[in-house]
Amino acid sequence: MRKLYCLILAILLASMFFMAFSGLQEVDMELSNFYLETGVEETGAINMVTAILFDYRGFDTLGEATVIFAAATIISFLLPKKQTTMLKDDFSLLVHKSIKSVIPIVFILGVYLVVFGHLSPGGGFTGGVILAVIAILWTVVFDLEYSESKLSYSTKSLIEDLGALAFVIIGLFGMIAGSTFLASGQAGFYLGTPGEILSGGAIPYLNMAVGAKVGAGLAIIFNSLIKGE
Amino acid sequence: MELTYLVIAILICVGLYAIASKRNLLKIVIGINILESAVIFLFVFSSYRPGGTVPIISGNHELFVDPVPQALALTAIVIGASTTALMLGLVIELYKRYDTLNITEIRKMRG
Repeated sequence: MRKLYCLILAILLASMFFMAFSGLQEVDMELSNFYLETGVEETGAINMVTAILFDYRGFDTLGEATVIFAAATIISFLLPKKQTTMLKDDFSLLVHKSIKSVIPIVFILGVYLVVFGHLSPGGGFTGGVILAVIAILWTVVFDLEYSESKLSYSTKSLIEDLGALAFVIIGLFGMIAGSTFLASGQAGFYLGTPGEILSGGAIPYLNMAVGAKVGAGLAIIFNSLIKGE
Repeated sequence: MELTYLVIAILICVGLYAIASKRNLLKIVIGINILESAVIFLFVFSSYRPGGTVPIISGNHELFVDPVPQALALTAIVIGASTTALMLGLVIELYKRYDTLNITEIRKMRG
C-alpha cells in the first residue's frame, strides 16, 4: 500500500515537472551570445566552457573544488585507516603485466586533457578523474599496499593541498595587480594568440591546479572507501 | 522536443519513487543518482540548438550550442560525485554499526 502511495506521489511530481519544462521553450540567449562573441578576445581561450568555468565564473569553480576537498577530508576521517582491504587479489600475471603497460598511456591521456583544457574538450576536472584512475587501477588490480607504496596517503594529501593553494595564489595575483580576485587578462597574465598552448591567461595554470587537486582527491576517496576491518 | 521532456520527467519519476519507497540504503543512493542524471540531462538538452557545434571557437563554424548550461552541468557532475562518495562512506559506517542496510530496522535499533 505504501509503495502505491509513493508511486502516485512520484507520478504527480513528475507530471508537474513535465508541465513546467513544456513552458521552457524560450531560452534567453543574450548572455550566451555575449560569451560566444567576446569570449575569445577577453580570455584568450577558444574552449568557451573552460573560459566560463575558469575565467568568468572562477570563484564558483573555487567553491566547487572546495566541495571535493571537503568530501575527501570527511571520508578519510570517517572511515578507518587500517591497511587491509575488501578486495581479494586473484588476478593472473597477464592482467598485472598488461595493466602495468596501460598505466603510462592513461597518464599521458590525463596530462594531455589537463594541459590542453583551454583548446580542446576536457580540462582540469576531466583530466583529474583520468589521473585518479591510475591510483584506482593500482588498488583494484594489485592491492592497497602496492597502491600506497607507489603513492602514499600523505603524498596524495600533499598534492591535493598544493593544488588548492595554487588556485588561491593564482587568484591573489589578480588582487596584487590591482584588479579583482581571479582576474586573468586584467591582471597581466599573458593572453597570447588564441589557439596556441601558451594562451588563455591564467586558465592553463588554474587547470593544472584543479587537475592535481581532483586527481589526488578522488584517489584518496576511493582508497578510503575500499578499506575494511 | 516534447518527447525529450517526457523522458526527463520519467527519469525524475523513477528517481523519486526509488528514494521514497525503497528500504535499502544502497537503492536510495542509486535513486538519488538517477534523479541527478535527469537534472544533468535537462541542462544538456536546454543547451541544444539545431545545427550547433561544440562551443570551441575555431575554424569557420557559425552556430554553437549554449556553453553556459554545459559549465553548470560540469559543476553538477563534480558535486554529484563528491556527494555520492560521502553517502557511500556513511552507508559503510551504518552497516558496520547495525549489520543491516534496511532503514526501518536501523530506526528500530536506535537508542
